[in-house]
Amino acid sequence: MLRVEDASKAFDKVLFKELKLELSSGERLSITGPSGCGKTTLLRCISGLEDLDAGKIFLNGIDVSNIPPERRGIGFLFQKPVLYHHLDVAGNLRLGNRDADVSSALKEVGLDGFANRKCEKLSGGEAQRVALARALLAEPKVLLLDEPFSAVDEKLRSRLLKDTISLLSSRGTPAILVTHNLKEAKSFSKNVIMIDEMIPKD
Amino acid sequence: MRLGVLLVTCIPLLTPMSGCLTETIDDNAIGVESDDKVLTIVTYDIYGLTSERISEFTNQTGIAVEMIKLGDAGAVLNHLLQTKDAPQADLALGLDNTYLQQAIDRMVLQEHGANVSNIMDSAWAPYNGSMAVPFDQGSICLNYDETSINASQGRDVPTSLWDLTSDAWKGKVAIPSPVTSSPGRAFMIATTDYFANDDDQNTDWSDWWSAMQDNDVIITSGWTEAYETHYTGGYGVWNDDHVGDANFVVSYCHSPGVEAYWGDNYTISTSLTLDRASFHQVEYATIVNGTKNAEYANLFIEYLLSEEVNLDMPIENSMYSVLRDSELPEDNGYRYHSDLASLNAQVTPKQIADNMDSWLAAWEAALA
Amino acid sequence: MACSLGGCTGLKRRSENIEVAIPFLIFSALVIIPLLLALDRLIYVSGKMPWQVFSSLDEHYLSQGAIGFTFTQALLSTVLTLIIGIPIAWQLGRYNWPKIRLIRALLTLPFVTPAIVAAMGFMAILGSDGLDIRGDKSTYLVSLLFAHAWFNIALVIRFVDPVISNIDPSMEEQLRLLPAGNSLQGRIRWFWFPLMYPSVLCAAVLTFVFSFTSFAMVRWMIPRNATLETVMADVGGAAGIVDYQIFSNELVLASSTIQFIVLIVALWLLSVLQAKRNQTIAEVSESYSRKRSRIGWMILTPALVFCLSPLLAVVRASLRIAERGPVSSHRWTLDGWKSAIGGDYAYISILDALQNSLGYALLTLVIALPLGWSLSSGIHMLEKRNSYWAKPLDVLTMLPLAISGIMLGLGILLGIIRISTVFFTFWWMPAVPHIMIATPFVVRLLLPAMRRQDPLLIENAQMLAMNRWQILTQIRIPLLRGPLIVAGIIAIAMSMGEFGASWILVRTGAWDTLPVLVDQMMSRPGFDPLVKPAAMAAASLLMITTLILFLLAERFRPDGDGGMF
Repeated sequence: MLRVEDASKAFDKVLFKELKLELSSGERLSITGPSGCGKTTLLRCISGLEDLDAGKIFLNGIDVSNIPPERRGIGFLFQKPVLYHHLDVAGNLRLGNRDADVSSALKEVGLDGFANRKCEKLSGGEAQRVALARALLAEPKVLLLDEPFSAVDEKLRSRLLKDTISLLSSRGTPAILVTHNLKEAKSFSKNVIMIDEMIPKD
Repeated sequence: MRLGVLLVTCIPLLTPMSGCLTETIDDNAIGVESDDKVLTIVTYDIYGLTSERISEFTNQTGIAVEMIKLGDAGAVLNHLLQTKDAPQADLALGLDNTYLQQAIDRMVLQEHGANVSNIMDSAWAPYNGSMAVPFDQGSICLNYDETSINASQGRDVPTSLWDLTSDAWKGKVAIPSPVTSSPGRAFMIATTDYFANDDDQNTDWSDWWSAMQDNDVIITSGWTEAYETHYTGGYGVWNDDHVGDANFVVSYCHSPGVEAYWGDNYTISTSLTLDRASFHQVEYATIVNGTKNAEYANLFIEYLLSEEVNLDMPIENSMYSVLRDSELPEDNGYRYHSDLASLNAQVTPKQIADNMDSWLAAWEAALA
Repeated sequence: MACSLGGCTGLKRRSENIEVAIPFLIFSALVIIPLLLALDRLIYVSGKMPWQVFSSLDEHYLSQGAIGFTFTQALLSTVLTLIIGIPIAWQLGRYNWPKIRLIRALLTLPFVTPAIVAAMGFMAILGSDGLDIRGDKSTYLVSLLFAHAWFNIALVIRFVDPVISNIDPSMEEQLRLLPAGNSLQGRIRWFWFPLMYPSVLCAAVLTFVFSFTSFAMVRWMIPRNATLETVMADVGGAAGIVDYQIFSNELVLASSTIQFIVLIVALWLLSVLQAKRNQTIAEVSESYSRKRSRIGWMILTPALVFCLSPLLAVVRASLRIAERGPVSSHRWTLDGWKSAIGGDYAYISILDALQNSLGYALLTLVIALPLGWSLSSGIHMLEKRNSYWAKPLDVLTMLPLAISGIMLGLGILLGIIRISTVFFTFWWMPAVPHIMIATPFVVRLLLPAMRRQDPLLIENAQMLAMNRWQILTQIRIPLLRGPLIVAGIIAIAMSMGEFGASWILVRTGAWDTLPVLVDQMMSRPGFDPLVKPAAMAAASLLMITTLILFLLAERFRPDGDGGMF
């Protein structure tokens, strides 16, 4: 489970100040608001890709604030699907888990038979599915999703969202979704944080 | 569109074909009539021909001089052979008696018409004809660093070339390659005569070279590298890339004199004047076959043979003059430190021309 | 016109084909004919075919060990270059540096420095007025390797830096957050290596090629070891003459054939690798702010010092003269420059030589630039048509790189001049090898730029009813102004620095180019201590001129371009 304590971060302006957050196993959270207001930065700080100005992050009770991102055991889905083109789909999945059962992982995300496809040939939606399958294969303690469906068209987006939710539920993986789409946020989780709530009004 | 680009490309390529570029720009090309009198000399870097000397010639005769400067005497012969059908020069300076016969045989030279009456007889010894005029001479032999001699440590002054194959001189002899250097070539030729006439009938000159190779002889591509970089007895010790691993080097028998002259009568170098281990080299001025400026060339030859120029050869060019009754200057120990062998290698230019290829092949085989 | 925008048929295609063919025919004529003629001459005079003479290299003392040594020093040079160059490229690509364009320009300066200047620079550093290690022969090989590495670091930077600096950081971040990328080894194995190896290998292949055919540096820094190039230089002048020094023909034939085979293989490898490399360069539209490196200065500062030292050493050496005496010492003087500028009958004034060099350079520019443009344009058009001619013609333009400087010179000496010795009288003959060398670089610069251009720009112009000449002059050339200027300047720089072919061909003292003059001056017996600083003055002049040209080119270069140069 994830706990954020008094996290503060500012660039030119304050993005969030003394933010508190808790997420238990199986829980999901959405953060929404207009772009450029620190949602992505918050995710990056939780993952360790960026440092907090102040505050701490706990994972399963352990303070990971000073631990590098690769050792935190946190999964991340970027806005653009980040697949490695020198590997095929199966190769990419194995980056998440060397002993992965590639075919069942692909079946779970509806990409049965895609194992030997070349990444350049995938559509945006298909690529993001592969990235999702890969991230889940790594069995992360928390999965962070940074507007992963924004580049996908409307029809597909809700399908992908539903599938993602069911995958997360079946595994009980806590997850945080960042999106500027309020409807999407509400579909994803009961808890939705609005951006201006990240800065205490005093 | 692209056609325009192509036209632009083609124009510069086409104009030279019409020859008009050559005529307008290269006024000094051989055979082109023009008002300026120009003599083109092909030579290797003879530092005796200073700007002052050339200017004097031009002032005296009104003939301008252009130089084609090549690496060494061999390069001069190569140039003459390569340009045989379209000679680029009028006068060739620097062919010596190891190259001359080949040049004559291949008809790249023509007769001179200069007045050569004041040249000493010994300069005519290797070649006495109308195709070449001697303008300086010297003897090529081994020089050694006197301070390296130490009898108690087995390093005596060699009395025979075979002494150089002993442990005492392992890796301490530097010789330029006969393939790429004319002093090296002259020395190699001398060894053919030396070993043909020594007491040992069982070995010949190529055996000696093999033995020298086994004894780590240092073979360089040119004289400059051998003398300046490797030799411990010469001015090279003050050079940047001086390695100083050789106590013996092939140079001129009068090189120690040159060292003394420029070094305030002090030198540690001296020559090894063993009989037949020395080669009498004469350098020639030769007129290139097919030139239209033979008249200018003859004037230059006479200028080279004039007392003001030729008697200065020892100072300006570090070589002996060819004029009768000339001697090395005494100043600063030049004459004192210079030496000559009592007997030079006895090899004629014709023998050289006939055997050079097989000698070089044998030399290479001996060192391989 | 019978064509639509989308496709062309019949007449237009045929005329396009002819227009592509003409520059290629001209180029092939320039490059191939002299070589074929030279080869023919060598075979005729030696009486042997190339495959019969390989053994002659080992049979002659002059060339013994040349093959082995050439390969060895080239391989070692390549390894050293990568070892030094990759960390530098990493620092440049990965981190944010103030004045990064300047730093990059300074670090790639060695590559456009004429080799003879570099050789002089290293001699000055290592000589008695510097580190003073030339007295020890065992330092020669290592010095040569460092000199080669110095020269070729620019290749590593030019190939590898853009790949690193253009990657989307999320690619690396994503991997860090996957088990496979937990460790540094994991990230190297799954990300950095696959990303970088084509570029690194491209740089390695080219470094090998340049080290393999290196002439000026080998000649001066390790004089007693023969390479294939120095063997050809030593005996080339005597080759091609019937019944004269036959072995020189055999040696030239053997050396040039081996060189050619090795280099063709290398260039083929290069084109394969470049294609692979182009797949890995992702053009990033946003600019990411990069981190600042804390330890990076520990790499870049020595690198800058290393790159600049030989250049500064040349200038310094031109102002110093050795004093004879029991202990070697030096003092400052302007006499070297005075002597060099004043000229002498031993050598022409360096200002005259500079004029000659610039003259040849201008001629090179005037021919190589349009020729290179036509070739690039032709290849680009074939690529758009997916023609199978595109690739082989692309490789063809790199052919001169497979032919060493000495061989180019001999090709002309033995080849063209054999057609008719009247060619000897053409003052512009030395420019021919310059053009042959510069054109591949022009193509290497223009072709990627043409590829990167948005075809819509041309199509739009066609919709505005502009004809092809108008499109060329008003659209294409202005749009490619930057690469054109860079290409032009590189062509001039290559011409000015060309040494091997010029060395073979220099015909009269009055037409000496600066590089050849430097070599001539340095070759003079060093009895007169003034010889050295005068030679260094000539080298300094050459270097300063090339430097100015290069820094000018850098102002026009688009940032982060992925082309070879």
